[in-house]
Amino acid sequence: MTQAPLLAIPLVERLLAAAMERGAEFAEVYVERSENTAVTLDEHKVKSAQSGLSQGVGLRVIAGSKVGYAYSDDLDDEALFRAARTAAFIAHGGGSERAFTVNRTPLPTFYRLAQHLSGVEVEAKRELIVRANKAAHAYDKRIKQVMASYADTTKRILVANTQGHLAEDTQDLCRINVHAVAEGAKGERRTGSFGGGGRVAFSHFDTFTPEYVAREAARQACAGLGAQEATAGEQTVVLAPGWSGILLHEAVGHGLEADFIRKGTSLFAGKLGEKVASELVTVIDDGTMANARGSLNVDDEGNPTQFKVLIERGVLKGYMYDSLNAKLMNQKTTGSGRRESFKHTPLPRMTNTYLAPGEDTHEDIIRSVDGGIYCANFGGGQVDITNGNFVFEVSEAYEIKKGKLARPLKGVTLIGIGPEALKNVSRVGNDPMPDPGMGTCGKDGQGVPVGVGLPTVRIDKMTVGGTRVAGGKR
Amino acid sequence: MSTNYEQLAKKLVARAKKMGAKQAEAFVQVGREATCRVRDGEIEHLTQATSKGVGLRVIVKNRLGFSFTSDFEPSSLNAFVDRAVKLAEAAAPNPLNGLPDEKDLGDFPDVGALYDPEVASLAADWKITAALEMEKAARADPRIKTVESVEAGESVGEVFLASSAGITGYSQGTSVYLYTGAVAEADGQLQNSWWYDARRFLRDLESPEHVAKEAARRAVRMLGAKKVKSQKVPVVFDPMMAASFIGGIAGAVNGDAVYKKSSFLASKLGQTIAPPTITIVDDGLMPKGLATSPFDGEGVPTRRSPIVEKGVLKTFLYDAFTARKAKTRSTGNASRGYRSLPSIGTHNLYLEAGSRTPEALIKDVAHGFYVTTMLGHGANLVTGEYSRGANGLWIENGELTRPVQEVTVAGNLLDMLSRIDGVGSDLTFRGSVGAPTIRFNELTVSGE
Repeated sequence: MTQAPLLAIPLVERLLAAAMERGAEFAEVYVERSENTAVTLDEHKVKSAQSGLSQGVGLRVIAGSKVGYAYSDDLDDEALFRAARTAAFIAHGGGSERAFTVNRTPLPTFYRLAQHLSGVEVEAKRELIVRANKAAHAYDKRIKQVMASYADTTKRILVANTQGHLAEDTQDLCRINVHAVAEGAKGERRTGSFGGGGRVAFSHFDTFTPEYVAREAARQACAGLGAQEATAGEQTVVLAPGWSGILLHEAVGHGLEADFIRKGTSLFAGKLGEKVASELVTVIDDGTMANARGSLNVDDEGNPTQFKVLIERGVLKGYMYDSLNAKLMNQKTTGSGRRESFKHTPLPRMTNTYLAPGEDTHEDIIRSVDGGIYCANFGGGQVDITNGNFVFEVSEAYEIKKGKLARPLKGVTLIGIGPEALKNVSRVGNDPMPDPGMGTCGKDGQGVPVGVGLPTVRIDKMTVGGTRVAGGKR
Repeated sequence: MSTNYEQLAKKLVARAKKMGAKQAEAFVQVGREATCRVRDGEIEHLTQATSKGVGLRVIVKNRLGFSFTSDFEPSSLNAFVDRAVKLAEAAAPNPLNGLPDEKDLGDFPDVGALYDPEVASLAADWKITAALEMEKAARADPRIKTVESVEAGESVGEVFLASSAGITGYSQGTSVYLYTGAVAEADGQLQNSWWYDARRFLRDLESPEHVAKEAARRAVRMLGAKKVKSQKVPVVFDPMMAASFIGGIAGAVNGDAVYKKSSFLASKLGQTIAPPTITIVDDGLMPKGLATSPFDGEGVPTRRSPIVEKGVLKTFLYDAFTARKAKTRSTGNASRGYRSLPSIGTHNLYLEAGSRTPEALIKDVAHGFYVTTMLGHGANLVTGEYSRGANGLWIENGELTRPVQEVTVAGNLLDMLSRIDGVGSDLTFRGSVGAPTIRFNELTVSGE
């Protein structure tokens, strides 16, 4: 890297010393500078062009299991030393006057871009959404509204700590998104959404074209017209490959994050080595996938990310650790410490989480279902990691009848308990599984970009919510 | 201090005009926050911080540019303004772009005090003591296995607004909160729940003991929860779930969604959409409300807007841009932080209390479902379809009996509104949305 560090290294070292003044065990300086650009289109017009700059420093001090945190968006020495001493307050010792030095750790790179996204002209970004608007309207006369947006961030971070580590990284991230509304007979309205991107160069959109994204959003919207209400109750469901991985992320992934394990609030706590899923299920969290939305060269504590097997052939193999929870649990960090910005402390988080491919073909899996539901696209989802309850809105669903896709269904919601659903996985496809790069995961009010993925999967006995009850009342 | 930021906002506006902007508006936010979390009788986490930022909106030849920054160095601020003006070139010209019209502006209402000096000068010790008290109170029930998180904190915020339309606005406020998350365990099943309270004034805040005991009570009563069979039954929402339902309805009166016919309420203005017991209000003036403010995100005076009055849909909510598009007036509902352009949002939103006690509403139900927690976003505001994961207690012969989980409650929002056959007297605010207990005469519960 030829750029000057975000904060002069001697100043970083003096801040670490100030943070340790009251005799803590560990201190860390996190410096961030993020530049954002966004363009939005609505009602055929590029509505606005926007940019933003956020910068600041977060100081974290650890004494035992206690954490002191302070941040400042003023980068002058006085404000930074004030923040360091505020964070230091957590420790009760005193009189420490140790000096600290930090050294750069060499890093792998999973997303080196020839040109940072912040350097790409805004006109080129505008062009993408103008093209998307045109393509979505051209797809079908029934498309009545299109909203399109493009957003990117070029984020530079510097993390240094009293163990002598210093890591710097530049993290570009972009995403295009198209939302389409179709109108059918009697004013019926259906929506479709699609998008994607990642830690990719702007030329990504030469192949992942705005036209492709727009047509997929428009297709979803039109496909839902005339959909029938789904029957409520237990059914066999087949999940489409790709974005359906959101279900795995929510229903399983969060329960394997070390903070919930340490506090005993996850139903996966204390189950290492136990069978928690069907043996067709292997779950991986991989922060090292090339150019993926959830990938990181280093996590937000300066540690390299990893390829981690969480569940192997149904057996629970490991959890995701940040350094604090790792220390308190006598484990090693898995490079899973992430934070939204300098205003937040790191938490153990997922990167790109996916279900490893199996052996069946997509067609065979659908053919294997006599009666059930094909879940082609998902809206949002939520999970209670303590009792394992999860819920997902299926935004595009079809009835499966005698091994074939039949009429579209509306208002489908899947609900279940994570490990029980995993035990009922009866077929796993061999099709490609990464999502197009559109997920943002929220935890404790912090949003971070993630990747998800799943091949085609069949789950038996899934509870489906709907408004139609089979066999009348009660 | 205050005058500095006001001067800064005015300077940015002046610079933008000089650089060619026909209109400009600077929105400055300054704040500080402090939180304390404890675990096992000791401090787990202390945070303290100050922050600031400014968002600048410019209109250049009918084109809209926007930029924000947290870097207040005088040397970078000029470049920041120039960037916003330059960005406008990439947007399409639209004669509807612009700051609020003169007819939307006016004197700011007197909203009373929003700033509690007691909160602003709250000692760290108060938070530590309150958090420790909550942990102890939650643990008092032996079925509570772990107290996942107890937290106390406060924040102080200021807003400065200056625009080329001649608006200068300033407001400041405080807030203080308590939170407890508790996990109960029995027979290998874990159930968690949380409770919190947030107020502008310290003396209005629920006691730490009350917050903790409520979290523990809500977790413990769910132990042993099971699915039920799919069926159609009367369903009762507790005040928190009712508030979340009302929040969904408020999304459908967003003037932009209405203009685009992307709301299931778009064609219902002036029509009866609910029983006469239903009055839903968006109130920007509510004394001490967490979302009370003398002006909205673009300097339009706030007001009290009845959205639904005695069952009749009375108004949609607008910011200046959407109002101009829909040929109506702003309702003072431009909502924003410094990092974003204004968009339509609510202030203090609530369903007015009815006359019946929550107990009386449950007593009438032979078989039904009392919902206390929901999962998922649920409502599709375009179609009105509603389906959410739900946990709660089963009602048998007018009594709350066994706990229920892993089911969904589904319906259509318009149909659901018409099915409300009981409104409780227990209007409760958690944050800026409030509601009493409500009862639907019949909804679909999906389970086995």
